[in-house]
Amino acid sequence: MVLISISMLSQNTKLENKEKKKDSIIKIERYGFRFGLDLYKISRSLYDKNYKGLELVGDYRIRKNYYLAAELGTENKTTDDTRLNFTTKGSYLKVGFDYNAYENWLDMENMVYIGLRYNIGSFSQTLNTYKIYNRVTYFPEASSYSSGEKFDGLSAQWLEFVSGIKAKVFNNVYIGFSARVSMLVSNKKPDGFDNLYIPGFGRTYDGNFGASFNYTVSYFLPIYKKKNVVALKNKK
Amino acid sequence: MKKIFLIVVVFCFSLSGCERDDVCDPETSTTPMLVIEFFDAFLQTSPKIINNLAIVEIGNTIGFSLTSGIKIKIPLKTQLDVTKLRFIKDYSNPPNASTNDDVLEFNYTRKNEYISRACGFKTIFTLSPGLPVLTDPTANGTWIQGIVVVQPNIINENETHIKIYF
Repeated sequence: MVLISISMLSQNTKLENKEKKKDSIIKIERYGFRFGLDLYKISRSLYDKNYKGLELVGDYRIRKNYYLAAELGTENKTTDDTRLNFTTKGSYLKVGFDYNAYENWLDMENMVYIGLRYNIGSFSQTLNTYKIYNRVTYFPEASSYSSGEKFDGLSAQWLEFVSGIKAKVFNNVYIGFSARVSMLVSNKKPDGFDNLYIPGFGRTYDGNFGASFNYTVSYFLPIYKKKNVVALKNKK
Repeated sequence: MKKIFLIVVVFCFSLSGCERDDVCDPETSTTPMLVIEFFDAFLQTSPKIINNLAIVEIGNTIGFSLTSGIKIKIPLKTQLDVTKLRFIKDYSNPPNASTNDDVLEFNYTRKNEYISRACGFKTIFTLSPGLPVLTDPTANGTWIQGIVVVQPNIINENETHIKIYF
């Protein structure tokens, strides 16, 4: 009698297990390293003679929805303003994380994400030409003065809020877009000039806030897989 | 999460709408002019009103005039280390009996300093040691009796740089 009841019990649990399996699916989540580059900076380098830039991007999936993310870039930009002409040269590193807010179906691996970065830049400014501002123009003025003075060893740090998308286009290739809003935290200015442009941050004369974006193409290198049991919505 | 996303998107667009500050603010201290104040040659401490003063660069037909006052601001050349100006007292065209033409030569050193993106640079001056050179081209005697350099460093227009006694 006892034996029968045990077998009955075990049968019951088996049934329960079967029901559970019906209400859930097993998803295989791939973890790995994704690396790529910013297409905007490369294409701008081709059409804008005053600009040379390159940005490498990478992220590493650490949790189901969290990615460690970094960008490493270099820029060489000549800004031609009405009263000043200067060249900014330098590189920057952005380190932080992305949170994927997109719930993928089945084997989709897309991202709609937000993230944070802490960024450091190291650069130099070269003043090419400048104009003297005279409120009263009585004497003939020089159209502009050439300087060529180089200000070395400059640096800046800033925080960046990222929002973007990454979509798998085929196999392990992704395209992405991100928009970034940044805030300067520190800015080591040259003595006798200013950091009007900071590589990776952009122009600084709109206050301590900046905005930027990138278009990326990247390749995903899978390292390991994880099974993830996803419960389907209860239909009862 | 969707709300945060929306806020970020709105914030991004609002930033792109910001206008660039391209105009040099008139309140900004730019290239300073030389501030000259006129004093009585006898009562040396009391400012003296000068009438119909014209200050013109040699060879130029236009200049600066002071109909009646004790102070005038004149620019210095930012391309050269010397500015030569005619100081014409009781100016009239054609000149009358009391019109007197003196020439002052200001020698100085210059330094160009960064102001801002919108204003560019300014020139500040340091007057050379010694007094500005006074000459009398019309040979009718100089109306300027004395010159004192009060502030040789011309970095702003808030103070008097030179006193002229007549």
